[in-house]
Amino acid sequence: MAPKAEAAQTLASQSDASQSSIDPLFHILKIFPYSIIRPPRLRLKLPSFTLPSPMTVFALVLLTYFMVVSGFVYDVIVEPPGIGSTQDPATGSVRPVVFLPGRVNGQYIIEGLSSGFMFVLGGMGFVLLDLALDKNRAKSVKVSYASAGISSIVIAYIMSMLFIRIKIPGYLRSCYTLAMNELLMNSK
Amino acid sequence: MVGKTESQNGAVKATAAPAMNLESDLFSNFSFKSFKLKTKQQELLLRVSILGLVYILAFITRLFSVLRYESMIHEFDPYFNYRTTLFLTEKGFYEFWNWFDSESWYPLGRIIGGTLYPGLMVTAAFIYWTLRFLRFAVHIREVCVLTAPFFASNTTVVAYFFGKEIWDSGAGLVAAAFIAICPGYISRSVAGSYDNEGVAIFALLLTFYLFVKAVNTGSLAWALASAFGYFYMVSAWGGYVFIINLIPLYVLVLLITGRYSMRLYVAYNCMYVLGMLLAMQIRFVGFQHVQSGEHMAAMGVFFLMQVFYFLDWVKYMLSDTKLFQAFLRITVTSAIAVGALALGVGTASGYISPWTGRFYSLLDPTYAKDNIPIIASVSEHQPTAWSSFMFDFHILLFLFPAGLYFCFKKLSDATIFIVMYGLTSMYFAGVMVRLILVATPAVCLISAIAVSATIKNLTSLLRTKSKTAVAGSSKGTGGSKASSKASFDQSQPFQKNGAIALLLGAFYLLSKYATHCTWVTSEAYSSPSIVLAARGAHGNRVIFDDYREAYFWLRQNTPPDAKVMSWWDYGYQITAMGNRTVIVDNNTWNNTHIATVGRAMSSYEDEAYEIMRSLDVDYVLVVFGGVTGYSSDDINKFLWMVRIGGGVFPVIKEPDYLVNGDYRVDKGAAPKMLNCL
Repeated sequence: MAPKAEAAQTLASQSDASQSSIDPLFHILKIFPYSIIRPPRLRLKLPSFTLPSPMTVFALVLLTYFMVVSGFVYDVIVEPPGIGSTQDPATGSVRPVVFLPGRVNGQYIIEGLSSGFMFVLGGMGFVLLDLALDKNRAKSVKVSYASAGISSIVIAYIMSMLFIRIKIPGYLRSCYTLAMNELLMNSK
Repeated sequence: MVGKTESQNGAVKATAAPAMNLESDLFSNFSFKSFKLKTKQQELLLRVSILGLVYILAFITRLFSVLRYESMIHEFDPYFNYRTTLFLTEKGFYEFWNWFDSESWYPLGRIIGGTLYPGLMVTAAFIYWTLRFLRFAVHIREVCVLTAPFFASNTTVVAYFFGKEIWDSGAGLVAAAFIAICPGYISRSVAGSYDNEGVAIFALLLTFYLFVKAVNTGSLAWALASAFGYFYMVSAWGGYVFIINLIPLYVLVLLITGRYSMRLYVAYNCMYVLGMLLAMQIRFVGFQHVQSGEHMAAMGVFFLMQVFYFLDWVKYMLSDTKLFQAFLRITVTSAIAVGALALGVGTASGYISPWTGRFYSLLDPTYAKDNIPIIASVSEHQPTAWSSFMFDFHILLFLFPAGLYFCFKKLSDATIFIVMYGLTSMYFAGVMVRLILVATPAVCLISAIAVSATIKNLTSLLRTKSKTAVAGSSKGTGGSKASSKASFDQSQPFQKNGAIALLLGAFYLLSKYATHCTWVTSEAYSSPSIVLAARGAHGNRVIFDDYREAYFWLRQNTPPDAKVMSWWDYGYQITAMGNRTVIVDNNTWNNTHIATVGRAMSSYEDEAYEIMRSLDVDYVLVVFGGVTGYSSDDINKFLWMVRIGGGVFPVIKEPDYLVNGDYRVDKGAAPKMLNCL
């Protein structure tokens, strides 16, 4: 409160601010140290707090969404390796494995990040589509937005389907005992 | 509705016939008006029939396991709920409310009346009594099995109204359709999964819808209705803490963004005060609304609202703005200071209890791993990997950011709410797999907004084309207008075809979603884990009913006062089906008791015998899956018994059971492992 009162005093140049203020702290401070000490003339301004625009907030939200959907919390707690490895039984060389096999609720860090990127890409495709249908732009811009949007959606969808097919070998195949034995440990 | 249109048409035609000689365009005017009514009624018919189909779809897609196996209760927790519902229907509400159960947690017993959420049991008993009153002779088990799908169907109706409130009725319909088949919701509400969440998600969405409606309209009636919805939620599930923290957070965000209004004031005050008083009626919750740290946010925001109202009133009375600014500064500072002081005094003196471990681990996910192994051991409480998200949401994951974009484009009180609900619930879903269920309604609603807005854009592209074409050809008025529109027509057919192609693409995506959801429901979420199926050597399907046979053996071949010791997973099932007293069960409220059992299981046989004699144990139940290749048996869970036992009794040390850090159970296993119980 003290610097605020002080700034008000310097701005109003001391004439009627002191009488019209109803702030008790201000009056106490006026008497106690500041009748003896002379405060210096400063140009202080409190930082003003402006709300960010909605689209800024949307960008931040998208970043958070990317982190959550990539399994960031999983990475922090379970600490899986960045990429897995198996040993080729025939030659003995170590080959990298990108997708953690066998479980639905498990991942390596890289696979999580790439899948999260695909999801965000798909979402951005829809946003670009909406921007393309906005009336107030040049036609070439609209066409490029529309084509970028459609291609993003298509690529994101195909890649996500590919990823999930690699991860869960029995995807969309109906042999429910197999899936059940795998998932029994994890989905309950 | 269709009949009404026809009769109106008939009446119109009857009156128009004698007047037809006089004015021909009067007749055309009448037919134009009746055409308009017909469209509106057609739209209503379409909406009602879509909602009806979605309602039926939500019910029947959850019936896979009833059709494949039989109508029985799944898993572990629902058996306890079933047993308590049975007790309620047999003995009545007062006996149920004051029940002390000496058959579980021997020798401690358990105060059932005071340690459960009665909403689910009371709802099922109410449905049972209603059906009985109408002379349908159903068994309580059938009612219990089918409660969850019934409430899932009701949730779709609430989702429709919620979507209508936030965006428009098209979004509401899409949201209802999404929620009906979304695997994230189906996983906990399939027929036979008689658990709190089945009813709680309905109560959650209902409370949120009523609150948003109250904020939008500012009416007292809706605010009170939302308080009663909150009461139902508190009676149904421990997750009500989410509501009582999200709504104050939402109010805070509205205040920060400058959307304070009288409607918000009325809505939040009524809901908070009445909701708090009603919530204290549940014995399990008790006085937590004024005593527990998790509920303090609501109280803080309540007082902040009073300060805002007071400041508004002073501003209205005062005409001097500079005076008001000074007054504002003083009041806000003193209010915050007083609030912080009160919170500090309350926490320091112990009156306000700190956040419990279960909820604190949601805010700080590393807490459970280090401090509370029993929370970390439940597989549902693991953090979520991307594949679980994909499995449970499919294309909704793409539509969610798009929907957020549309909400941010058209900010209003209701869209701010759904954005906050979506973000907070997605964060919690990332922390714990089980909470994907809570995120599902938000994701479905936001995705529905994206779908509705995109399809509206595309069809408006189509419509403007066809509208100008129709205007140019049929009416024949304004020839110059028609010619100017015709000049656009050369570039437009490409756009029209593009729009049609995109609509077909959207239809394809949605149909893939439906296929995925049905596959997931059929394969992954419809197995009662009490009956198992596997492939035999020749590819034929073999069904294992071992669990139920074992419990029935216990029921028939042991004396009625026998005590059974097992790991806590099976406690509920043993008491419900075997009808025998158990030492520990799934409620896991007493960590030391469970650690005693864990110690007994992992000590040498002579030490274990001493412990079991002291607990009066007659039988020990152990699950072994080696013969059939069943992988989640007690040998797999054994390390958890060691960890939990070791957490309380340092005698048990985990490295004793491992060989070079590896867990082995064959001949090469550690000696302590080979010789323990």
